Parts: sequence; C-alpha cells; structure tokens
Amino acid sequence: MPDVEFTLEYPYTRTTGPVIGPFLTGLRDGHILGSRINGRVYCPPLEYDPETAAPVPVDLVEVGPGGVVESWTWVVETTPKHPFDHPFSFALIRLDGAATPMLHAVDGRVTKGTRVVARFREERVGAITDVYFVPEEGAPPQAPIEPGAEPVRLTTHLISLPISEPLQPARARFVQGLIEGRIVGQRSPATGKVYVPSRGYDQMARAEMTDADDVELPDHGAVSSFTIITPVRYYGQKETEPYIRASILLDGADSPIYGVDIRDIPPEQFRVGMRVRAVWRPPDQRDPSGFDNRQGGNWEQFIERWEPTGEPDADPAKMQEYVF
Amino acid sequence: MAFPSREVAIVATSQTPSYRHFDGPEPVLIMRCVNDLLATTGLERDDLEFTIAGSCDYLSGLPFAFVQNIDGVGAWPPVYETHVEMDGAWALFEAWLRLQLGDIDVALVIGSGKSSPGHPREAFPLQTDPYVLAPLGLDPVSLAGIQARCLIDAGKATERDFAAVASRNRRDAMGNPNAQVTGDRSVDDLLKEAYVCEPLRRHDLPPISDGAAALVLVAGPRARDLVERPAWVTGMDHRIESHHPGLRDLTTSPSTALAASGAGVGDGPVDVAELTVTYSPEEIVLREALGLGDGVAVNPSGGPLAGHPVMATGLIRVIEVANRIMAGSAQRGVAHASSGPALQQNLVCVLQGGE
Amino acid sequence: MARRSAVIGIGQTDYRKQLEVTLDGLVRWAALEAVADAGLTLADIDAVVIGKAPDALEGVMMPELSLCDALGAVGKPIHRVHTAGSVGASTAITGATLVESGRYERVLVVCYEKQSEGNATWALSGGRSGGQGAGGTFAPWIREYIRRSKAPEHIGWMVAVKDRRNALKNPHAHLHLPDITIDKVKESPMLWDPLHFLESCPSSDGAAAVVIASEDVARRAPHPPAWIIAHAKRTEFSSFPGRDTVRIQAGLDCAEALYKKAGITNPIEQIDCAELYVPFSWYEPMWLEGHLITPEGEGWKLTEAGETELGGRFPVNMSGGVLSSNAIGASGLIRCLEAASQVRGTAGDYQVDGARVALGHAYGGAAQYFAMWIVSSEIAPTF
Repeated sequence: MPDVEFTLEYPYTRTTGPVIGPFLTGLRDGHILGSRINGRVYCPPLEYDPETAAPVPVDLVEVGPGGVVESWTWVVETTPKHPFDHPFSFALIRLDGAATPMLHAVDGRVTKGTRVVARFREERVGAITDVYFVPEEGAPPQAPIEPGAEPVRLTTHLISLPISEPLQPARARFVQGLIEGRIVGQRSPATGKVYVPSRGYDQMARAEMTDADDVELPDHGAVSSFTIITPVRYYGQKETEPYIRASILLDGADSPIYGVDIRDIPPEQFRVGMRVRAVWRPPDQRDPSGFDNRQGGNWEQFIERWEPTGEPDADPAKMQEYVF
Repeated sequence: MAFPSREVAIVATSQTPSYRHFDGPEPVLIMRCVNDLLATTGLERDDLEFTIAGSCDYLSGLPFAFVQNIDGVGAWPPVYETHVEMDGAWALFEAWLRLQLGDIDVALVIGSGKSSPGHPREAFPLQTDPYVLAPLGLDPVSLAGIQARCLIDAGKATERDFAAVASRNRRDAMGNPNAQVTGDRSVDDLLKEAYVCEPLRRHDLPPISDGAAALVLVAGPRARDLVERPAWVTGMDHRIESHHPGLRDLTTSPSTALAASGAGVGDGPVDVAELTVTYSPEEIVLREALGLGDGVAVNPSGGPLAGHPVMATGLIRVIEVANRIMAGSAQRGVAHASSGPALQQNLVCVLQGGE
Repeated sequence: MARRSAVIGIGQTDYRKQLEVTLDGLVRWAALEAVADAGLTLADIDAVVIGKAPDALEGVMMPELSLCDALGAVGKPIHRVHTAGSVGASTAITGATLVESGRYERVLVVCYEKQSEGNATWALSGGRSGGQGAGGTFAPWIREYIRRSKAPEHIGWMVAVKDRRNALKNPHAHLHLPDITIDKVKESPMLWDPLHFLESCPSSDGAAAVVIASEDVARRAPHPPAWIIAHAKRTEFSSFPGRDTVRIQAGLDCAEALYKKAGITNPIEQIDCAELYVPFSWYEPMWLEGHLITPEGEGWKLTEAGETELGGRFPVNMSGGVLSSNAIGASGLIRCLEAASQVRGTAGDYQVDGARVALGHAYGGAAQYFAMWIVSSEIAPTF
C-alpha cells in the first residue's frame, strides 16, 4: 500500500508596507536599510518602537554592508529550506551602523567577533534571500548590481511542506478492498452503525474499531446529497469544467460515501434519492495512489463511473439524515 | 474580589506513550485519554462541562485538521468546547480562568499532535517573521544552536553541561513507561558524537513524536470527591518575549522569570519541577529563570528530550507534576511549558497537594 | 462570583481585496484604533488574545509569536484561539472570560485574516485540486432548507441586495455595490446551485479589534460601554448518521443557552438587532430559525416582509455583514463588535435607533461551531 505523499504548497504573495517594502527594495538594489527609532538603528527595520510599540515615523538609513558576528551556529545538517545546501552558519550579525544584530546566513565558518560582509545574489527578487554574508577576510568581490525600476510592493515566498505517512490501518484495508473491487466499511460494535469509509473508530461512542469490525458494502445505493461545482482557479487546481460532487448512501450504510465526482450523468437528471451503482475499472487499471488519511474522493481511480440503476428513487426526505 | 476566587485542582490525568510514529489517527490518541479519564473519575461525558483543546494544524499539513479531533472528545449531544492553536498548557490556562466565572465546575483539557507525518525542521520556520526570517528556513534547531553558543560565550555553560542534561534526562526516562527515547550513556560518550548544528549534537535535540494528553480540572470542594489528593493549581501565568532574535538575550529567559513570579514559584519550596526542555541548553536557562536550586529534581520523567509530542509536551509537564502530587510523592511542584523559537514564550504553573 | 465585562473600544481596518500593509501593519491598524477608542494605549493592556482561521491562509504558523511585538504584548500574556469560521466570536468570548475571571482588567482582542497573501479556496480544499469550497458544502443544505420551508427563490436574492445596500453606509466594508438589484443577483453566474456569485461573500483582507474591560474600568471609559450580558458556544460533529445539517442542534442549543443566561424569553421582541454570520445569502433565514428568533419555517417570511432591513422589526446585518466583507478570522469578531457599536450608539449611518440589546453571532466548520454573545447599553437589562 503506497504511503500518503503530499506536499502542501502555495506561493504566498505578501504586501510589504511602508517599511519592509523599502527594506526589500534596498536588498534588491544592493543596500541594507535599518530604521532609526529614538536615535537607535534597528536592522531589520521595524514599523514601531520596540520598547513601547508606539507608532514611529519611517526613517530608514543605510547600514553595513559589513558587520560583526555576535553569535552563531554551524549548521552541519541542512534542510531543503536553508539558503545553502552545504554546511553554513546562521549568525546574529550587528551591521556597521546598527545598534542590534540581525539574524542571517553566512557562507563560511565564523566565531564571535568575526567580521562578515554582505553579498547580493545575481538573481534578486526583493526578498530577504537576495542577500547573504561571507567572512570579510578573503571575501570574493561583489558583482555589480543593477538596481530595479519599481519599488518592491510585493514579496513572494513559495512555502512547500512535504507530508509523508502510511495509510492508517482502517483506511489501508479500505483501499485494499477497492483494489479488489470491494467496498469495505466498519460496523460499530457499540452502536451497530455502519460507517464507510471508516475512520477506524465510532466517534458517537468514542470506541475504536478493529478489522474484526470490517464489513463489506454493496456497490450500489442512493444519492443522498450533491452539489454542482464550477471550478475556481487556484494554485494546484486541475479541474476546469463543472461537474457534480455527490454523497451516496450505499445500501446498508449509515454514513454516505462522499467526494464522489460524477461526470457522466447530466445534472438535469441527477437528484437526491436517485439509485446508482458502480461500474468498476478493470483490475489492472485500479490506482491506489493519491489516497490520504482524511479526505474523501479518489473514487474515480477505482470506479469508472456511477450509473443509474433505473429502480424507483429512495425517499429524498429520508436521505436528509445522510447528507454529509 | 481577589483572584483567584475559586480553588481549582487537577483530579485526573491521562497521557498516551510518546510514539515515534502512531499508525492511527490523532483523534484516537485523544479518545484513549478521554476514555481513560472518564474511567478513572467515574464521570460521564456530559459531566465535563467545558472542553478546551490545544493542537496545531500545520503539524498535520492540513488546514482545519483540528476539527477532526473532536471525534476523540465526543460532541453529541452538542458540547461547550473551544480550541487554541497552541500547546495544551495554554488550553489549561484558559480553562483555569474559565472556571473562575462560577457557573461551571468541571473542565476537560487536551493537548495532542502528530509530528511524524511532516518534517518539523522544515515546518517550524513558519513560526518566524514571514518577511525576514521564515524565507531563510530558520528552524528551531538552528536557533537553539545559537542560544547554546550564547551560553558558552557568556561563560554560563559548556558542551559538557549540555551533554549532562541529555544524559540525565534519558537515563531518568528509563523509569517512565511513556518515554520514547531512553538510555544510559555517559557524558564522555555523548561528546564523541558529531554535531548536527554546532554546538548541538543529536542527543541535545528532542525526538519526533506523536502523542496526546488530557486532564480533568475541577473547581471547588467537588475536587475532593473525585480524588483523594487533588493537585491544586495555586498559580499560573504566561508571558512572551520579543520575537526578534536581535532584541533578546538568549542566555536568560525573562518571560519565564516573569511568569514564575506571577505564578508564585518562590512562595514555597519546590519538590519537583517538570520543564519543557526541548533542547538541552534550555535546562540551564530555565533553572536560573525559575530560581531552582541544584537540589530540585528537574524532569524526573525525562522531559521532552525523551518524548516530544508537540502541542501535548507542555501539558504533559503539568501532568507529570500533578501525578506526583496526587500520588503523595511530592507536595509542591512547578511545571513549565514553552512555545516559539528559543523559549520565546513561557508558561509556569504551580501545583500543590494538601488541603 | 459573576463579574461583568464590557467592550470599551472598537477598531477596524478597511476590508479590501488587498491591503497594502504587512501583517504587523494590519493588526496594528485595528488594535491602535481600538485602544484609542478606549482612551488607552497599548501599554495599558494586560493581556492580548488573537483569533484567526487556519494559518495556511497566510502561511504563518502560530502568528502570536511573530506579532507580539507589534501588539505591545512583550512581557505580557498572549494566546491564540482557532475555531474555524466562528473564531472571531470565540475569541471575543475568550476575551470576555479573561476579564470575567477577575484575572485581567483590560484585554485586547484582535482577529484578522490577510487572504490576499494566499488563497482561501486553496486552503479550504486542504491544498488539493478539486475543492468544493464552503459554498459547495452548504449549497445542498440550503436546497433542503428551501424544500422544507417552501421558501420562494427570491429570498436569497433579497438578502444579497439588503446586505450590500447596508454596506454602502459602512465605510469599512469591502463591497460597495451601489447598483446592486435583485435582477443583477439573479443574473450573476451560478456558483453552486442555488447560490449565485452575488449571493456569496468576498475574500477580504482585514483586521478587527476590541478592548474588553472590567466593570471598574468600563465605568471610567470615555465612551459608553457595551456590556457583555451573556455568551455561549456549542459544537457538534461535522458528520454522523442522522445529522440534521439544516436545523442544527448545536445552533439551537447555543441560542437556548445564550438567551437563558441573558434572561431573554422572546428574542425577536427583546433583542433590538442582530449581526449574524451570513456568508451565503440563505443563511439569514436559516439562522433566524436556527437560533430561535422565528419559528421553524418562518425565517424567510421575516426577510420577505422587509423586517430584517435597517428600519424593520428585527434588523439583521446593518453593517453589510459577511456578505459585504469576509476576512474569515475577523468576521466573527466584526459581528460581535458591530453589535457592540449598535448599543454604544456609534454605528453612524447604519445605527438602529435606540438599540439597547444586540446579538453578535458566528458559525464555522461544517456549520458545527457556534459562538454568540448579547451586548447591551445597560449593565443588567431586564426584559
């Protein structure tokens, strides 16, 4: 059974305001700015007085590009999110002209007291990663920096968090069942209610369930709820055309299967109470990838489509107890 | 009217073991604790008048992950509950204050989290300033490394001191059935290991853990009906420091000292202390901030270095102290919880046995 | 043992698609306005509570950590509540309980969302393709409400128009649609049957803040306090066999508990106006019924008769409501503070004359979380 592998990823775009905006513009253009507040210069700059949180006028002054290391750590084991993929130092660096240190990355070993100097990357976008530091001694020269035309109003951060975990036992047995052309749920030993897909417990009784509670459900039932989705564009969205998303109460179940995407039955014919049955994909086309431990959906990886059985509808009023 | 106007005590506690990886869902971890508490106290679900949980969606990588956690708590018929996106220790603080209103007497407090699915060192940078720190991937291990360096450069600690904390905690953890990482290794042995983030070595860091913990909090004399020796909350406070690393003195923990003062740590002897020491250098900083002398037993459970179910860790510190008071092996104890990079935010709770 | 608390200061940003500020700037905008309104500075605040919806909306985890300096919370207690869409009202309630506990005298409550940084539909979809969105979840429940109540189709359109017309009087509101009409709503694209585009809330940047204080402090405040008479929260599971997703038990229980605490026996008469969390038009009649303001099946009739208009018998969403501004984390607090504004007499052009008792409400998740409060111009109103 494949592990759940998912990356929660979004390219956040942040407005930068009247202080961070000029700061990031400065970085893009090869300067480091601090804010002067009550005679002290803070870098990175602040929008308020750090002692009182009172508002302060924007007063930005250039600091650095050199400074002194006040403290450091030598990062031997780096993460993919670090500015370097080889060991480097994170350090508190008090830039020349600043009263307090800023935390940034140094490409090289340092100790307390080492002088470091800023280097600006060839590709700069108006982000804190446009700059890094190197020990001043033996520092390679800074390549010439072409300033940008417009102030940096927006800064982007692609945040990407990998998630990897095995399918939880009840879920794994459910997916295995789908591979075999069976729909497996669980009957609560406490209440007798049949849940599919099961979460591995009956929350109504706060009772865990085991494989002894597994039951097979027939692959037919009645539509208990549906909505017609007109896809909205967002990062990672793959859908483009409207489609039906339905919940189906399989015969014998007390919870509906949900996230069933219907593309072959015209919306005008689709209705709560309509009886449908699954048309399975051939065994060699059933695909367990993409399942996870919480979300619904992915039915189409096993079931090619759902088709009306032609039997009389189930009572829609009764279906109201099984909509979600 | 003086505060607190009502005496509040912990009457029952529960925690799951700290798992490297729990193969079931987080609600099951919570469910086990809740069922255990109901069995211990003989209470019914609807006797728990107020429920408050602490957890963090980002650990699971799913927005709204906390919603499913109510499956473990029970929410039918509908219940009065709330949630903080923080360690359960902060849920405890809110519950303690909520019980002061006088209209309800019994609260259920929960903390839970599964760190195993994600990569904590890649997720936790998102706690830092989004403009000038997070894009650097500034992770808690790196910041702890800087804090350790500050301590060494200030002459307040050595790498040997850090290894001694790690050694002692994991040895003490051998007596804790819930601990995840235990072992008896000498300081010299530990100092031979390679650095992860100099001057920190792997043993100076917490494990990755899944787990949950919960307790029942009761106001007034009813507490004595439910347990022979309640653990009374005599004080609790929490404070935060500046987020900007350049504005902090990382060799001290002023927010812990403030919270300790607010909680009345110094008002009596301390028999036992359970501190959220997630990185070994933190024990040195926290002992000083709390004014704990060398005679005070710190982290007899082994602390977070032995098991670190994030969002339950702080609540478990309270539970470990409460358990010892309820068992009669301690009369007065201090529990500490922490949040944010390098001990940025700290909560202190003082518990006492007796009448 | 029962201490009173009151709202003594209110602050809000403008609600817009994108506000040109940092997150620091966003929360400070609302917080500084609230403390100034209270006649205080940030230094006078004893404790801060932040409320907002999932961190993935902005990609900042546990933002109290990176915002504490900006809010003057260094050296103080600060914590963060998260109860999905209801969070703004939950946080307001937490703020009230912090004061009512006797521990703090002045608490700053700040709720916000900066949705322009991320994408709400992406976040609501768990970051995955094919998300149905909140509207996609609620649409079938709305269809069932319509079926049960036999409400005519124009009710939703009427709510959409009413709330946007009210918003024209609210300079903070995101949507200012002076030309909105029933026909325009009806002709706007269908998102999820029966909800048209103009029946749905916008996605907003915004922050709201209130200062909640003890009775002593409230009595000395420069402006009339809004006394917090009662508050209640209830939660149920999102799904279970037999769940009624139209007339929701947790919503009924929450209202009952709230009215009982307040001494209210006839809400429609005894409450002068309400700010209800209506992100999709049909939730106005559904909450009127779901919170016992009208009998079951009658909510839509109150709307149809124009009684929920500003000049009606039971004004709802005088500020324009969630339909006109939706910074998710803030919206619940905005309902609570708009209720407070009414009883303080500071609601400007959308003031309900003589409002003495007002209801603030929010819901969240799969319509499973409810948080509500009653505020009054009197410390102990009788009914």
